[in-house]
Amino acid sequence: MNITGKRDQDAGAIKEILPAEDILTFDFRAAGGMDFTIVFTDPITDKELLGVLVVRPLLHYEGAATVEAVKERLTSPEVRTERDLDKLAEEVLAGNPVLLFDGADEGIIVGTKKIFFRAIAEPSTDVAVKGPREGFIEDVKINTSLVRRRLKSPELKIEFLKVGRRSATFVAMCYLEGTTPSATVEEVRSRLERIDIDVIPDSSYLTHFLVHKPYSLIKQIGTTEKPDIFCAKIAEGKLGLIVDGSPIALTLPYLAVEDLQSSEDYFVPQARASLTRILRLLAMVTAIYLPAFYIAAQLFKLQLFPIKLLLTISGSIQNIPLSPSLEMLLVLFVLEILNEASIRMPKYVGMALSVVGALVLGETAVNAGFVSTPAIIIIAFSGIGLYAVPNLIEVTSVLRLIMLLVAGSVGTYGIILVTAVLLYLLVTTENYGVPVLAPFSPLRRRDLKDSLIKFNLTALDRRPKTLKSPNKRRLS
Amino acid sequence: MKTVSARQLCFFLAFIAPVGKLILMPSQIVFDAKQDLLFSAALSYLLQSVIVFLVLLAAKKDKTLFALLRERLGTVGARVALSLLALFLFLAALLPMLEQKLLVQSVFYDTLPSILAFAPFFLFSAYLCFHPIAHLGRMWDILMPFSAVGFAGLIALSAGAADFGALLPVGASGMGAIARGTLHSLSWFFDSALLLPLLGRIEQTKRLPLKGTLCYLAGGGAVLLVLAVFYGVFSDIALRQLFAFSRISKYFPGVAVLGRIDYFFIFALTLVMAFYCAMPLHAGVECLKQAFGDTPVRAGGYTLAVNGVMFTLSVLLNYHFLRTQTFMTHTAAWIFPLFPALLVFVLLIGRKHEKA
Repeated sequence: MNITGKRDQDAGAIKEILPAEDILTFDFRAAGGMDFTIVFTDPITDKELLGVLVVRPLLHYEGAATVEAVKERLTSPEVRTERDLDKLAEEVLAGNPVLLFDGADEGIIVGTKKIFFRAIAEPSTDVAVKGPREGFIEDVKINTSLVRRRLKSPELKIEFLKVGRRSATFVAMCYLEGTTPSATVEEVRSRLERIDIDVIPDSSYLTHFLVHKPYSLIKQIGTTEKPDIFCAKIAEGKLGLIVDGSPIALTLPYLAVEDLQSSEDYFVPQARASLTRILRLLAMVTAIYLPAFYIAAQLFKLQLFPIKLLLTISGSIQNIPLSPSLEMLLVLFVLEILNEASIRMPKYVGMALSVVGALVLGETAVNAGFVSTPAIIIIAFSGIGLYAVPNLIEVTSVLRLIMLLVAGSVGTYGIILVTAVLLYLLVTTENYGVPVLAPFSPLRRRDLKDSLIKFNLTALDRRPKTLKSPNKRRLS
Repeated sequence: MKTVSARQLCFFLAFIAPVGKLILMPSQIVFDAKQDLLFSAALSYLLQSVIVFLVLLAAKKDKTLFALLRERLGTVGARVALSLLALFLFLAALLPMLEQKLLVQSVFYDTLPSILAFAPFFLFSAYLCFHPIAHLGRMWDILMPFSAVGFAGLIALSAGAADFGALLPVGASGMGAIARGTLHSLSWFFDSALLLPLLGRIEQTKRLPLKGTLCYLAGGGAVLLVLAVFYGVFSDIALRQLFAFSRISKYFPGVAVLGRIDYFFIFALTLVMAFYCAMPLHAGVECLKQAFGDTPVRAGGYTLAVNGVMFTLSVLLNYHFLRTQTFMTHTAAWIFPLFPALLVFVLLIGRKHEKA
């Protein structure tokens, strides 16, 4: 439905489309006797700005009653016009007021949206000792500005798409034209346009629509809260997605090895970076397998323990009423509960909870003979190891539980078979034509230079072959 | 994803295929050839490498096995030949599967576990069989380091305890004993047949047949090294050491302090072995898919039937392993080099079928 040119009627029509109490109208008369109406959404329109940029200039207006003339009078840098009432209503909902007057064949949209956002801070999930400390926040505009500040290139394309029937969430698709494969850009755009869901509250919702195997346990989309990492990935030839309302940006195609890397690796000597990456991998493997092997060894193959350790363990478990697997599951269960509770609780209570959980509960449970000391040590070690690769916790914690259950029922051979299936799943998973386990499988020797072992920056002269970027050279 | 690259094929031949020869084959050869076990194994390897070379020559035609057979034998003939190949592969899978079952029962458990302890292998095998065979290429990429580390670790831990003088004097067992050792080890050499269902999916590069064969021989070199260390460690009692690779490193001095650290290498090789043992079943199912269609329902049907039968056999033959081994290594040994060789000759020099 188009605008009629009758101010009261048009304002009423918008109010009819948006029958909410926070949709307000403001009428005023200019010096020349012309009447104006502004339709706006109360909490998300900056009324002070509206007064300065729109009302004050128009109070002294004595010019012609045409849209062009009125537009020229406004001092706002963001002024647009629209004929369609539904679209005008959408703008009002987005926080941009609509200016109407008699005889106007278009509504004037003024960009005075009030933006609430927290300050840019270092993300708690990705702390770096060396390197940039900025993190994304919940506002898509601020986040894209952080990206633009780092990539001052005309090739950086930021496309805004609206996703979600009711939330109309802005999704910024960021890529470097000529570096990100156009097939990836096309497929992501087409997948985003096909999403038909009412609300997108967070970027994690999008992942379900962007991956090729939505039911797989394997992670298929990269995530980051840091603009420097986000830009580095885009510069490699990947595509990034920033979702309004979410501080977690998505990058794709995803490679498993990227979660073993951290931004700090690029700011320290390569030997240290390589060592840290290997350490992260070992920590993750230990976290998944240590409890399982401990159980399998205790139940089926005591030879796996050195003799002195075996004597210590047998001394500790002598009076434990539970079977080894039940004991380990109980300790794991308590750890997971403590973990969940300490994350959700207020900081002060969380600290007290850690003391109660770690010291009081653990100590007392051992003294009371419910659980053995080795079980607590192993689960604690596994818990710490899991957090060495924080981006994979959702996957690794499930794998640890699966391994534990298999170890308790089938033993070491079961662990080996589950590992085999897991490896098979990993090597056969690919997204946007890129295998998740590359550059290890399929083996890409050149890409190994920035995998577990990190070479000097000057050796990384080409973009990863795996990503199939049309722009191959990074360093000339 | 649809093809196996030349590198992946070479990894299979050099790193994956050798692990199937480490469980009972060493003690079987020692039984016949004693200190000349290396000659027997080398002869078996040479014989098989010739067939591997011929299969890789046939792969240059870049057509699937079914397409190649149909050109020579017609559609019905091709289906019969593929069915026979599938049967051959299921037969070939039997001995490695049963010996792996024994290995699992004796090495992974302190006390003899239930017959069903090995049952999860068939779930794994069924999972693999249901998926396209060309996916294995990537698997070989990732299994290569496991195999390399496993071999290197076990050799490093056991070489110090080996007395290589036990292998001397060379040729003392006589030609007859060496030949018997070769003949009785043939049932472990069917790697060329595993490659046949992959025809048409192998990426063709320059001199691939030669490179592939050299890789296979390099893998054979690693097996010979393990055999030398095995005989060096156990000498005359080697024939009683049934699970060679899991035994050779137990005399490493660090074991007393650190526990059986060699188990980590054994686990790595067992992981590779699980894939190798499932591969004949996977290849056999692939033959059936090529011959009779590969709709998901059919693929699921072949997978369930094949793994179900193999599981039943593993239970039924639980107390008849020696008889089965004797049948495979003595009575049916000649089939293992002969059948793939015959098939590959048909592919290479057979006349074109009239209707082709």
